[in-house]
Amino acid sequence: MIISPLTISLLVVCGLTGLGFYGLLVTRNMIKLIMMLQIIVKAAVLGIVIAGQGNGQLNLSQNVAITIIVVDTIVAVVALAFAIQIRRQMGTLDIRELASLRG
Amino acid sequence: MIAPAFIWMIVIPLLGAPLVYLVGHSGRRFWGDRVSRYAALLVFGATWVAFVRAAQAASMEPTADFTWGGMSLALDGISLLLAFVALLLGTFVASFSGEYITGEAGQEKFYAMLVAIVGVMIGLGCATDLFNIWIWFEAMAVTSYLLVAYYHTRALSLEAGFKYLMQSAAGSVLVLFAIGIVLSQTGTLTLAEIRSQFTAGAPMLLAGVLFLVGYGVKSALVPLHTWLPDAHSQAPSGISAMLSGVVIEAGLVALLRSIAPIAAQMTFWGPLLITCGLLNMIGGNLMAYAQTQVKRMLAYSSITHVGYMLVGLGVTFLLRESSGAQGGLFHLLNHGLMKGLAFLAAGALLYTLHSASGDHKPLMIADLAGGARRYPLAALCLSLALLSLAGLPPFAGFMSKWLIFKAGFASGDPLLWIVVALVALNSVFSLAYYAPVVNLLYRRKPSKVVLEGRPLPWSMVTPLVILSLAIIALGIWPDMIGWMTHSAGEALVAGFHF
Amino acid sequence: MASLWVILTIALPWLGGLVVWLLGEGRSKVQHFMAVGFSVASAVAGLMLLTVITDEVIVSIPMGTLFGEFTFIPDMLGVFLAIVATAIGSLAVIFSVDYMRGEAGLGRYYSLVLLFIGAMVGLVLSGSLLALFLFWEITAFCSYVLISFHNDDEKAVRGGIKALVITQLGGIGLLVGALAIESQIGTYQISDFLSRFQELPQNVLIFIAFTFLAAAVAKSAQVPLQTWLPDAMEAPTPVSALIHAATMVNAGVYLLVRFYPAFEGVQGWKSAVLVVGLLSALIGGLQACFASDLKRALAYSTVSQLGFMVFAIGLGAVFASQFHLLNHSIFKALLFLCAGSIIHALGTRDMRAMGGLRTRMPFTFLTFLIGALALAGIPIANGFFSKELILEHAFHNGPAWAYLGILLATGMTALYVVRMLRLVFFGQPGAYSIHVDSQRAMKVSLSVLAFGALTSWLLAGQFSSSLLASLPYQTWVDLSTVEMLSELIAAPGTWITLIVIAASAGVWLFWKTRDREGQRIQPVSDFILAGLGFEHLNHAIVRGVRALSNAATLTQTGQLQWNLVGLIAALFLALSMAVWSMT
Repeated sequence: MIISPLTISLLVVCGLTGLGFYGLLVTRNMIKLIMMLQIIVKAAVLGIVIAGQGNGQLNLSQNVAITIIVVDTIVAVVALAFAIQIRRQMGTLDIRELASLRG
Repeated sequence: MIAPAFIWMIVIPLLGAPLVYLVGHSGRRFWGDRVSRYAALLVFGATWVAFVRAAQAASMEPTADFTWGGMSLALDGISLLLAFVALLLGTFVASFSGEYITGEAGQEKFYAMLVAIVGVMIGLGCATDLFNIWIWFEAMAVTSYLLVAYYHTRALSLEAGFKYLMQSAAGSVLVLFAIGIVLSQTGTLTLAEIRSQFTAGAPMLLAGVLFLVGYGVKSALVPLHTWLPDAHSQAPSGISAMLSGVVIEAGLVALLRSIAPIAAQMTFWGPLLITCGLLNMIGGNLMAYAQTQVKRMLAYSSITHVGYMLVGLGVTFLLRESSGAQGGLFHLLNHGLMKGLAFLAAGALLYTLHSASGDHKPLMIADLAGGARRYPLAALCLSLALLSLAGLPPFAGFMSKWLIFKAGFASGDPLLWIVVALVALNSVFSLAYYAPVVNLLYRRKPSKVVLEGRPLPWSMVTPLVILSLAIIALGIWPDMIGWMTHSAGEALVAGFHF
Repeated sequence: MASLWVILTIALPWLGGLVVWLLGEGRSKVQHFMAVGFSVASAVAGLMLLTVITDEVIVSIPMGTLFGEFTFIPDMLGVFLAIVATAIGSLAVIFSVDYMRGEAGLGRYYSLVLLFIGAMVGLVLSGSLLALFLFWEITAFCSYVLISFHNDDEKAVRGGIKALVITQLGGIGLLVGALAIESQIGTYQISDFLSRFQELPQNVLIFIAFTFLAAAVAKSAQVPLQTWLPDAMEAPTPVSALIHAATMVNAGVYLLVRFYPAFEGVQGWKSAVLVVGLLSALIGGLQACFASDLKRALAYSTVSQLGFMVFAIGLGAVFASQFHLLNHSIFKALLFLCAGSIIHALGTRDMRAMGGLRTRMPFTFLTFLIGALALAGIPIANGFFSKELILEHAFHNGPAWAYLGILLATGMTALYVVRMLRLVFFGQPGAYSIHVDSQRAMKVSLSVLAFGALTSWLLAGQFSSSLLASLPYQTWVDLSTVEMLSELIAAPGTWITLIVIAASAGVWLFWKTRDREGQRIQPVSDFILAGLGFEHLNHAIVRGVRALSNAATLTQTGQLQWNLVGLIAALFLALSMAVWSMT
C-alpha cells in the first residue's frame, strides 16, 4: 500500500488535533493550555490548506490560512494577557485553582 | 461604485470606536469623564441614521450587496433584525452606563469596545461567506472577552474571562475544521455557491455538526453553556445586557447562516435543533431555580430563552416554512429587550446597593427584599422584565412564545404538539423562580442592604423606563415590528432553499 | 353606541387602575374615592350592556395577520358575567374603603383590583380565542399579586405562587386547545369554531375538549387541582370575595359552558365533567365541615359549590349551572364580605376564637344569616332555586349514583353552614374585644348583596329567555320564573332535598359536643384538611423539582477542563445523532 502525501497530511492534521485536545483536557498550566489551543488552530490551518489544494483553490485557502493565523494570534495575545493578570492577582497559573465560580 | 446605505451601519461604528477612544483618552482633561460616553452616543446616533436609511432602502429592494476586495456583504431581513437589536441595546447600555462605569480606570476603552462590538455584530449579520462570518464572529468574540474581564484587577472577572476565552476559542476551532471540510467538498466559501455545489453525504453532515458545536458554544447550547453563567454574572451589568441580549443570539445567527446552504437536504436538522432547544430549556430552568444571585439567575434564564428560539427555528427546518422562524426571531428581539432590561435593572440595583459604596459583592436575591419602597421605578422595571420573561401577558415575551407555539401546532404532528406542551410547561416552571423575586421586591420590610443603599441616579432609571414601555407596547401591539420579523423569517427560509 | 359600552366596561376600570396607581402613596382619601368612582362607573357601563345584547361582533381590533382579530361580542352569557364582575367588583371596592383603611400600598391594591375587573370583563366578552387566553392569564396574574399582597408574610407569598403556577398549568390546556382549533380551522374566532366544529377530525375534537376541561378544572379549583384555592385565602378579604368566590373561579365554568355545544357530543366528556364536579362537591363539602379557619371554610365551600355547577354541566343542565353561578356569586361574595367584616373587627380568622357574635355584631349576623340560608339551600333565598334545579335534573336525567352523591353534598352543605353559624355567632363568646359592628361602607356593600341574595331568583325567567335569544349555538330550555316555581313545588325531589337539608342541619343544631372540635377525630380531620392527600402530592412534586435542580447545579463545577469535556461530549452526541439519522 502506497501512502500518498495527502494521506500523510491528513494524518498529521488528525494527530495534531488529537494531541491538542488531549492537552487541553490534562494540562494544568494556563500558558500550556494556550499553546495547546494554538496547536489545534495550526492543525485546522493545515487542513484548510490541504482542502484548497485538493480542488485547485490553493490561492483562496492560503489567504484564509494567513488570516486565521493573524486572528488567532490576537486571541492568543488576549489569552496571555489574561494569564499574566491572573498570575499577578492570584499568584497562580494552575487552571484547577480557578474554580471559584460554580453552581 | 457607490456604497449602499447599509454599509454605513458597519463603517460608522467601526471607525467611530477608535475615535471614541481617542476623544475619551485625550479629551477627559478638558471635558471630564463623561466625554467618552457622549462620544459613544454620538456614534450610535449616526449609526441610527444609517440604519433608518438602510431600512428604507430595504423596504424598496429587499436585498443589497456590496463587495470590497475579498469581502462581500449583503443586507437581508436577518441582518436588519440583528442590527436593530444590537444598535438598540448598544444605545441603551451606553446611556445607562454613565454612573456605573464612572470612577473605573479606562472608561474610554469600555465605550470604544461597546461601539466596536455593535459594529462587528452588524457586520456579522451582513456577511455572505463562510470565512467572513467566522472573522466577524471572532472579532465579536475577542471584544467580548475583553469586556467580560473589564474589571481586570478582580480575580473573579479574570477567571470568568479566561474560562470564557478558552471554551469559546476551542469552539471556534471546530468551525475552522468545518470550513475546511466545506472547502474541500465544494471548492468555494461563498454561501450562494456552496448551495449550488452541494452534494449530500457524510462529510457535509460532519461539517454541519462541527458548525453546530462550534457556534453552539457562543449561543450556549446545553452542554456547551458552562461558560455563560460565569461570564454574564461577572461582566459589568451593561455588558451582561449586551452579552445576553445580542451576543449569544449573534452566535445563533452565525450558526444559521453557516448551516443554511448545507442543511436544506438534511432531514435531521429539525429534530436536532428542537432537541437542543428542549435540553436548553430544561437545563436552564433547573439551574436557574437553584440560584441565589440575581445576575446568575438571569444568566441561566438566557440559556432557557435560547431554547425557545431553537424550538421555533427547528420547527421551521421541520415544516420548511417560515412561521416558526418568525416566532423564533421575534423572540430573539423580545429577549434582547427583556433580558437587556432585566440586566440593566439588576445592574442599577447592584450599583446603588453595592458598587456605589465600593464593595464588589454580587447582588444576592435576598438583598432585593423591600427594594420597591426605596427604588420604586427600578423595582417595577425589574418585575416587568421578569414577568415578561416568564411569558405573562400583556408583555412582549408572551406574544413571541405564542407565535412559536402556533408554528408548532400548524403541522398537526402529534409529536410536535407534545413538544409545544413541554415548552409551555417549561414556561410555567420558570415562574417558580421569577415570581419569588417579584414578591421579595414588594416586601414592606426592607433588607439591611436596601436600607444602606444610595439613591439611584436618573440617568440609570430613564433607559429602564423606556425599555419597559417598549416591552408593554410590543405585548399589546406585537404587529408593530411584524414587518421586520416577517422579512427576517422569509430571509432565513430563502437562505435554506427548501 | 353598543361598541361604546363594551369598550367603556373594559377600559373604565383599567383607566381607573392607572389613575389610582399614578396618584402615588400618601393620598389615600383620593385613592379610595377614585377607585370607588371608577368601579361604580364600570358597573353602570356593565348594566348598560344589557341594552345592547346581541350575538354579533361589536368591537373588532385587527392585530395583524399572525394574531387575528380581537373581537368582542356582548351576548347574554358574557354580559351577565361582566355584570357580575363589575357589580360585585364595585361592591368589593366599596367594602375595601373601610377594610383597607390605613393599609400601606393602597395604590397597588386598587390598581390591581381594577385591572382584574377589566380583564374579567374582557375575558367573558371576547370572541377571539387569543384574546380570551390573554385575559385569562391577566386574571391569573392579578389573582397572584393580590393573594401575596402582604409580601412580608411567607404564607401569602407561597399561596400566591401556588395559585399562579397551578392556574398556569391549567392555562397550558387552554393554550394547546386554542392552538389546535386555530391550526384546524385557521381562525381564532370562537363563533367560527362553534359553527364548524363538525369539520374537525374526531380525535382532535376529543383532544380539545379534554384540554379545555383541564384548564377549567385548574381555574375553577376542581379536583384534583383544587388545592390552590384554600391557600389563596391569604389575600385581603374583599379580594377573596371578588376573585376567589364571585368571578375568576367562575371562568372555568364559563369556558365549559361557552364551548358546550361543541363538546357535548364528545365521547366520555360529559361523564368526565360530571365526575369531576361531583367529586369536588363532595370533597369540598367534607373539608368545609372540618375547617376551623373561617375563610378557608368558605373557600372549601366555594370548591364544593363550583362542583355543583360543573356537575350540572356534566348533566347537560347548562341553564341550571349558570343560574347557580349567578346566585352563588351573590351569596358567596356576601358571606366573604361578612367574614371580612368579622375578621377586621376581631383580628383573627379562627372560628374557635369567635362565638357569641350574634349580639355583638347584629347587622353582620343578619346579612351572614341570609347568605348562609342561600348557601344551605333554604327556600326564599336564591341558592335554593338553582340548587334545586340541578338536583331536579340529576333526579330525572342522571344516573342514580350521581343523584345520591349530589344529595349527600347538599346535606353536607347544610351541615357545615350550621356548624359555621354556631361557631361564629352562637355559643360562648371567645376571648376577643370588639366595639363596632360593620362600618358604614361595609354596610352598604353587605345590604346590597343581601338584597340580591334574597331576590335574584326572581330574574330566572328573564335570564333564561335572554340567554336563549343571544346564543345561537346553545340549545337551552326557556323557563319562566313562574314555571320554575310550580315545577319545583310539584317535584318530589324538592321535598327529598329539603328533608335532607333539615336533617343535616338538625344534626348540628342538637348535637351537643363538649369541646368544639372533637379531639378524638383529630387525625381524620388533619388528613381531610390536607386535601385528602392532594396536598402531600403537591409537596412531593415541589421537593422533587428542588432536588433535581440542586443536582443539576452540581454539573457546573467551575473547572475549565470539565467544561471542555462538555464540548467534546456535545460533539460526540451530535455526531452519533447524525450517523443515526443517515442509517
